[in-house]
Amino acid sequence: MTNSTRDPARLTPDEAPARPAKYLTFSLAGETYGVPVLAVREIIRLCPVTSVAGMPPHVRGVINLRGRVIPLVDLRVRFGLPAAADHDRTCIIVAQVTAAAGGTRPYAVVVDGVEDVATIAASDLTPAPDFGDAVDIRFITGMARRGAAVATLIDLDIVAAADKAAEPPAGPKAGT
Amino acid sequence: MPPDLPFPDIRGLLRRIGLDLAFVDPATRCDSLRELAIQLRDRIVAADPPTEVRAAVEAAVKACDQPPADAASWFGCWHEWLEEAVTAWEQGRPAPAWTNAPGRPGHSATSPPAAPAAPAAPAAPAAPTAPAATRWQPPSGSTVESVAVLPAGSDAEMMQLFCAEAVELLADIEQAALVLESQPDDAETLATAFRGFHTLKGNAAVMRLVVLQRLAHEVESLLEAARRGSRRLDRDAIDVILAAADVVGRAVAEMGSQLDGQYPGRSIPLPVTAVIDRAQAVISKPSRPSGILVAGPVSPAADGPTIAPIVPAAEPAPPPRAEPPRPAADPVAVPPAPAQRAAAAASVRVDTTKLDLLVDLVGELVIAQSMVVQAADQAGHDDQLTRMLGHLRGITADLQRTALTMRMVPIRGTFQKMSRLVRDTAVQLGKEIRLVVEGEETELDRTVIEELSDPLLHMLRNAADHGIESPAQRLAVGKPAAGTLRLRASHQGGSVVVEITDDGRGLDPARLRAKAIERGIISADAILDARETLELIFAPGFSTAEQVSDLSGRGVGMDVVRRNLERLRGKVEIASVPGQGTTFTISMPLTLAIIEGLIVAVAGQRFVIPTLAVRESFRPRSGSVTTVHARGELVDVRGSLVPLVRLGRRLGLAAEEDPGRAIVVVVEAGHDRRCLLVDELVGKQEVVIKSLGETFAGRTGFAGAAILGDGRVGLILDTAALVRPSRGSSEKIPSETVA
Repeated sequence: MTNSTRDPARLTPDEAPARPAKYLTFSLAGETYGVPVLAVREIIRLCPVTSVAGMPPHVRGVINLRGRVIPLVDLRVRFGLPAAADHDRTCIIVAQVTAAAGGTRPYAVVVDGVEDVATIAASDLTPAPDFGDAVDIRFITGMARRGAAVATLIDLDIVAAADKAAEPPAGPKAGT
Repeated sequence: MPPDLPFPDIRGLLRRIGLDLAFVDPATRCDSLRELAIQLRDRIVAADPPTEVRAAVEAAVKACDQPPADAASWFGCWHEWLEEAVTAWEQGRPAPAWTNAPGRPGHSATSPPAAPAAPAAPAAPAAPTAPAATRWQPPSGSTVESVAVLPAGSDAEMMQLFCAEAVELLADIEQAALVLESQPDDAETLATAFRGFHTLKGNAAVMRLVVLQRLAHEVESLLEAARRGSRRLDRDAIDVILAAADVVGRAVAEMGSQLDGQYPGRSIPLPVTAVIDRAQAVISKPSRPSGILVAGPVSPAADGPTIAPIVPAAEPAPPPRAEPPRPAADPVAVPPAPAQRAAAAASVRVDTTKLDLLVDLVGELVIAQSMVVQAADQAGHDDQLTRMLGHLRGITADLQRTALTMRMVPIRGTFQKMSRLVRDTAVQLGKEIRLVVEGEETELDRTVIEELSDPLLHMLRNAADHGIESPAQRLAVGKPAAGTLRLRASHQGGSVVVEITDDGRGLDPARLRAKAIERGIISADAILDARETLELIFAPGFSTAEQVSDLSGRGVGMDVVRRNLERLRGKVEIASVPGQGTTFTISMPLTLAIIEGLIVAVAGQRFVIPTLAVRESFRPRSGSVTTVHARGELVDVRGSLVPLVRLGRRLGLAAEEDPGRAIVVVVEAGHDRRCLLVDELVGKQEVVIKSLGETFAGRTGFAGAAILGDGRVGLILDTAALVRPSRGSSEKIPSETVA
């Protein structure tokens, strides 16, 4: 186990981390996903959410994290996975993502449940394959083999940056 | 090169010469400089130097005997070149190019033979390592650099420190200059101004900002003359001091933005020559107790902008933070800094994000505490527990108050800026205006102070321009020739009140009315009471100035001021007595971080409406809601029909549909009103405003969020956006057109 400080979030086919990196893995609709542990601030239980009208459906709203108001995004909806009711394993991963103005900002995502922290060796990583139009691979940084299973590694920076501007809000349209 | 050459000695001498140059003008006092130059020459000549270096040190000794007219910059350049040349020599490289053989100093009478004797046409191979365009060039003729360049690659952190300190010094200097204008003999203030320029000069020298160094030096000489009593500080002198401070301020501002990465290395044109000429003219001219300066600055344009890029010497400059060593040759005793500085030193600079975090956490503490209190109540009464909880509540309340006041700063800085403005305006208008400032120590939130500055500036300019009469007019009506402007800040309840009072001609209701009719703001038969008449000056497009002057009266007047203040949840009121003056009263919240909010519930979700925007709320009687075209709805609010906005429908929530079982909240923004239909009123609460953040950046309709009493997030409604007449359906949020 190396205590890697390298941020392996962005991988290209030519560039893979030389040393093993740690990922927090979680489940979404039966699939396993992973984000770099270094980007994760904390994991909390589902808490009261205040919805914000006029936002895309994957933005559940805002939550109060010890006095800070932070956005909460539903990753199932974001990735186009089938919707499901929250259950007792549903939880919130609070991550630090890059802020447009520089620095970082907190960003919370709802997942079906946290699995574990996995050390993934460079040799177990492959770049995201091209699925054509079938799968949106914008957010995927690579695929990690873990024994028989495969985890999809995602970059929350890109997820967060895509929230604004890109899509018009899915709320009620103006009458004009 | 033989290894036993005395380079450390030479470097030591060079450094001492550099410091000497920073604090003494070689043109007037060069005893110690001469001594050092001779030592340096002897050292260097003994070591069998390259021809150019030998010529340069000999030139310097001669220049000490017969200083050229522009000795300061000549020596500055010489010193810089020599440092590089010595480095090159040490490393066995040819000396760097003396790119521009120094011209003959303009005043041939004082021209030393030394200057032109400086090394000419040195070894060409030096050029590749020292591109001529970016290397220093010695000044030619009497041209004084009118361009300062941020030394490329110089230690940015040191530069930041220089800029930060310069800003503080300039504030002190400006304030001192304004005091000196009325009390030219105030020794304490003179010392402050002198010390300011002195320190500025030293710092500029360390940063190799020769242009600024020279400018500061000239003003310092002027102040020194005043300290000695040989030159009284009249208006001309004050003008020069302020002009010099402005030039330095401009340079510092530009350097600051270059440090932030905007066009780094771009040259900064500064009218240094003109100001120096003025300073010299003032020093050589007898004092005039009054009058406006006409000493025409010698147009620097004639010389063309002389670009004198300054690059850092190979040898790192001495640390700027070190207390400037005072050379023995400097006869001026600099008094110790006043207590004010000591007070400033006792404070700590804290990142505002840390303060925000503290406020967030304290807010959470208050919520957690109220939950504990509730739980304790439910668990049954326990006197001891109740007492302890009461104690805890007291502490958290104190803590919250303290945390919120940590962002507060005194309004002093803004008021100081205003004194400068009033002075300049008065000079420009040929009026005499005295500014009396009260309550400078009044504290308010930093962001409020920043936002208040522009409206204040505008109103004071207006008062000076339109309010106060010319001295002749004033004398004619039996007033003193000098008008008085009064600027007063105070705390009143939870807000801060700033009053601007002038003793000018006052507002003439008849004239206001006539003007408003002429401009089509009101109809000729409109009935207005006294207050409404005065308020006309806040109407868009209203300007009372007979002539549009340079200073005010462009029609972007008081309406903009009022709008800006209202945006900050402030108010402005006006009172005037014709012939006696006008008072504007601005009241502002102490902080923009907290608002009092009306908490309303819509479909189980709670929202905050800023109380400031709320006019009234009531349960509509059945039949008081009328429909227009079956879509638009109007509510009869005491005789006037106000459009109804069903908040539930706007926000896509399943809210109470029957107005008779809901509540109407009348909100106002500007002159527009809307009735918001909500399910119920929950209560009033002071809330800390939090930004919704980047994710919701394109989403209008909400002014922010707040943590409510139960720890949930409540959205703060942006009443201005709700009130803004929406095209088409009034049921939809018009902001869906996201860019």
